[in-house]
Amino acid sequence: MSDGFVRAISAADVAPGGMKAVEFDGQEVIVCNCGGKFYAIQRRCGHMNAPLDLGTLDGPYLTCPMHCAQFDVSSGEALSGPVPAEFGDAMVPARLGQFLQNIGMMMQHVRTESIRTYATKVEAGWVQIALKSTQ
Amino acid sequence: MKKVIVYALSTCPWCRKTKKFFTDHEIPFNYVDYDLADQTTQEGIMRELDAAGASGFPFVRIGEQVIVGYQPDGFSAALGL
Amino acid sequence: MNIESRKKALRHFFAKVVQPMGFKFTPDADLVEFLLEQEVMLEVKHGVPYCPCQPLRHERARDMQIVCPCIPFHRQHFDAIKRCWCGLFVHKDVVDPDTLPQLSAKEVGLE
Repeated sequence: MSDGFVRAISAADVAPGGMKAVEFDGQEVIVCNCGGKFYAIQRRCGHMNAPLDLGTLDGPYLTCPMHCAQFDVSSGEALSGPVPAEFGDAMVPARLGQFLQNIGMMMQHVRTESIRTYATKVEAGWVQIALKSTQ
Repeated sequence: MKKVIVYALSTCPWCRKTKKFFTDHEIPFNYVDYDLADQTTQEGIMRELDAAGASGFPFVRIGEQVIVGYQPDGFSAALGL
Repeated sequence: MNIESRKKALRHFFAKVVQPMGFKFTPDADLVEFLLEQEVMLEVKHGVPYCPCQPLRHERARDMQIVCPCIPFHRQHFDAIKRCWCGLFVHKDVVDPDTLPQLSAKEVGLE
């Protein structure tokens, strides 16, 4: 505790290629295991705050489940933004259509920001996270 | 002198090579970058590609002949070089 | 967003997709850099990395067929010419990609 690192999760609880959301110090953080190397990132997507742990992790690349923005978990860097949705040709009730159109219009103005990362270390089988974020 | 028209994409290196081929051989040609064109022009170009059974760029018309893809030997032959 | 970081990520994803189909990145490194850069810019513009050498028709179903790597949608054609249309990928055994002409599907007897 004195070096600023806090136990977050047992290393054995995050399989290689996997990720787990943990909460500590009032913050939602995801611990990722990239081939044995652990990284910790903020849980919320830098685009529209979706829970990234519900997405997919491929190497260090995390894809958000909501609109498919992608991040490098080793640096927190946002690599690509949302992929446009396609609703097909089916008729949509007027108010729903209007609602979706409005959301779509507003989403044009939403940036995809890079995400916060936290320093990690593994000690005695525990993944420890620094309380202070690196960004 | 046969009329040369090139339909290209500003993002495609083979289209650049195609334009360079005609420039280097001092053959006058017209070109349109499909991706930078307006909708009507794009629709017209796609009709031409579809009619010729093509779906990629560069799309080159030399006189009556159509060549799809960067084919310097084909260009030379069509021009009688 | 950083172009080089995005290119690196695309290389990672694409390699995994094309390898089981018998393709690899072309040995022409300059061409890889150029094409990936075009794809990153297309992705910034459209949200998806489209092929830099094929036309967008603005019809979802058809445009999906030119999302890189588009090999699955043109398998017979690309297997016949041992490369994909823009040349980013070539058959695994190709050593000199300059010897692979850019032939349309029609020219190799398809379509």
